[in-house]
Amino acid sequence: MRKKKSVRTVTALMLSISVAAAMMADIARAAAETNADKGFRWRNGAEVYSKVCSYCHEGQVGPRLFGRELPPEYTRAVVRNGNRAMPPFRTSEIDDESLAKLAEYIQRN
Amino acid sequence: MSNKYIALPKGISEKTFDSAIGDFRSVLGDAAVLTSAQQLAPYIKTMMPVPDSDHTPSAALMATTVEEIQKIVGICNRYKVPIWTISTGKNLGYGSAAPVERGQVVLDLKRMNRILEVDKDLAYALVEPGVTYKQLYDHIAEHKLGLWLSMPAPSAIAGPVGNTLDRGVGYTPYGEHFLFACGMEVVLANGEVLRTGMGSMPNSNTWQVFKWGYGPYLDGIFTQSNYGIVTKFGFWLMPAPPAFKPFVIQYENEEDIVEIVEIIRPLRISGVIPNAVVIAHALYEAPVKARRSDYVTGPGSIPDAAVRKLAKDHHLGIWNLYAALYGTPEQNEVNWKIVTQAFGKSGKAKILTEREAGDDPAFKYRASLMRGDMTLQEFSLYNWRGGGGSMWFAPVSQARGSETLKQMALTKEILAKYGLDYSGEFIVGMRDMHHIVDVLYDKTDPGQVKAAYQCFDELLTIFSAQGYGTYRVNTAFMDKVAETYGPVQRQVHKTLKKALDPNGILAPGKSGIR
Ligand SMILES: Cc1cc2nc3c(=O)[nH]c(=O)nc-3n(C[C@H](O)[C@H](O)[C@H](O)COP(=O)(O)OP(=O)(O)OC[C@H]3O[C@@H](n4cnc5c(N)ncnc54)[C@H](O)[C@@H]3O)c2cc1C
Ligand code: HEC
Repeated sequence: MRKKKSVRTVTALMLSISVAAAMMADIARAAAETNADKGFRWRNGAEVYSKVCSYCHEGQVGPRLFGRELPPEYTRAVVRNGNRAMPPFRTSEIDDESLAKLAEYIQRN
Repeated sequence: MSNKYIALPKGISEKTFDSAIGDFRSVLGDAAVLTSAQQLAPYIKTMMPVPDSDHTPSAALMATTVEEIQKIVGICNRYKVPIWTISTGKNLGYGSAAPVERGQVVLDLKRMNRILEVDKDLAYALVEPGVTYKQLYDHIAEHKLGLWLSMPAPSAIAGPVGNTLDRGVGYTPYGEHFLFACGMEVVLANGEVLRTGMGSMPNSNTWQVFKWGYGPYLDGIFTQSNYGIVTKFGFWLMPAPPAFKPFVIQYENEEDIVEIVEIIRPLRISGVIPNAVVIAHALYEAPVKARRSDYVTGPGSIPDAAVRKLAKDHHLGIWNLYAALYGTPEQNEVNWKIVTQAFGKSGKAKILTEREAGDDPAFKYRASLMRGDMTLQEFSLYNWRGGGGSMWFAPVSQARGSETLKQMALTKEILAKYGLDYSGEFIVGMRDMHHIVDVLYDKTDPGQVKAAYQCFDELLTIFSAQGYGTYRVNTAFMDKVAETYGPVQRQVHKTLKKALDPNGILAPGKSGIR
């Protein structure tokens, strides 16, 4: 329970700094037909973790990932292939570069 | 068998496919055309009890613009290559991101993810297919728009376009999602771009506020169908209410579903309870709190006595009705009186609010869903059996107590024959209830895989024989369900298909339509 709280604080932090995506969406109204706006992009591994993985891996659905020094290759493989109850994620959802950052982020934390 | 590709579309030679892939690459660039086993891995895993090879795609295309999609359908027509469109691609338990038939090319629109417009005053959004609920939620929070989303339980990782196009549901007053859809942009198989409703008129500013337009209403034919590729999607959002009061009402016996539904129906139809309610069986909520192995070992479905013990240990009813009031505190107070009086009469109901149940993990995630907050807690279901096997059995029932009891008993009986548990709930409706049962099994256990397949097949056979149709089904059983709705509807679907997509390039087999 204590752990959970600290993660929610991190999530809130990530939300409050997610300016770039929001600004892009803001100008989208004007740019809708010209495709000037490129849409959503991940900024770093922490953002992917908090906006995707944490909902299952901090919430009793999947095992905890932090504090285990999981090898990045392992994390990348599980994310791309899925495993049993773990759904896979496509490059269209989490691009290779962001996945690499995410896997390192998980190993470090 | 091809060596170069992990699968080929039905009736297409490797040589022809080579040419098509070459053309796709010239439109999208090499990096957006995926063909290797490694690249395609995340499109292959499904939760269905059939070999993943039955649904393995030949390639995936990551398009980001309408123009690219127009060119793609041109190429598909030229080579007769079929494409299977996904938006956020998280149709878990209904086929995931994999195509209905082996060899189809997945058109993955996840990267087409711009939020084009959110109008605070008129409370609507216009988005592209790849937008997730999470992305939209953050956008609304960031701009303090004061609007609530309605989303399915996979909230953060799914999206409004794919969910609504498959006629999915959520848990707020806007929970029957297609009711709140307003205006689509669709790329047709011939490359033309249709904007439905008011969107057809140049310079109209009422596309997202008036659903019907002029003449036959077309939006419906682009849901659960393969008549077009939706590239923009409008829908209504709910203004955040001044007060929100979630509650759970627990009952101790399976037969009590009769009383629950008889009481809830008039409250739903009159709007006293405005949201898409859930009446969840203890076994649907149990995985959030308990482990199956603590209550039952060995094969076979979980015995009733174990379910009763589990419910008691974990403060669950055998039925748990989750609903909420939305309004000013005064409005909610008046409606709360009506609700508590109605459910208080028989003395069987245990009524709990946030005050009593606020820390309960099941109550918490249900309350989040009813206010459109992100949670993936419901995925605990997958820990019940483990091994990642799941199919949603989703028959429609009248909102009549006797009918819901009959459907529950019948489902439970058939599941038990195959050693599977009744993880069921009744959700959404005013006059109907979606009866939603997660047929959970261990996909790593060949015995359970076989049992799950046969069980699901029997559920469909027996239910349709009794006149109960399913509202949605996974890609392994689409033909079977299409069959249950009779030949005339099937023929009309086919006629439309021929007219709109004569080469059959768009998702042939979706909803049994070819
Ligand atoms: C634990 C759990 C709980 C769930 N709870 C719910 C729930 O409460 N309510 C619910 O509705 N579902 C639920 N689901 C099922 C499913 O995960 C959701 O419905 C999810 O929203 C569907 O995935 P998606 O939004 O990514 O849509 P997608 O997978 O992108 O699309 C779904 C289908 O729509 C069609 N389609 C998609 N995009 C297009 C397009 N652009 N043009 C034409 N056709 C298109 C395709 O046939 C596609 O297969 C649940 C699943 C799980 C595992
Ligand atoms: C929908 C819920 C869900 C989401 C979202 C999710 N996971 Fe998982 N994950 C699971 C479950 C459940 C398991 C356990 C699977 C099993 O063994 O059946 C798991 C397992 C894993 C494992 C293996 C752990 C081990 O102990 O070996 C890794 C690594 C992993 N997930 C990484 C991630 C990452 C990274 C993300 C975010 C991109 C993520 N997951 C998102 C549910 C989820």
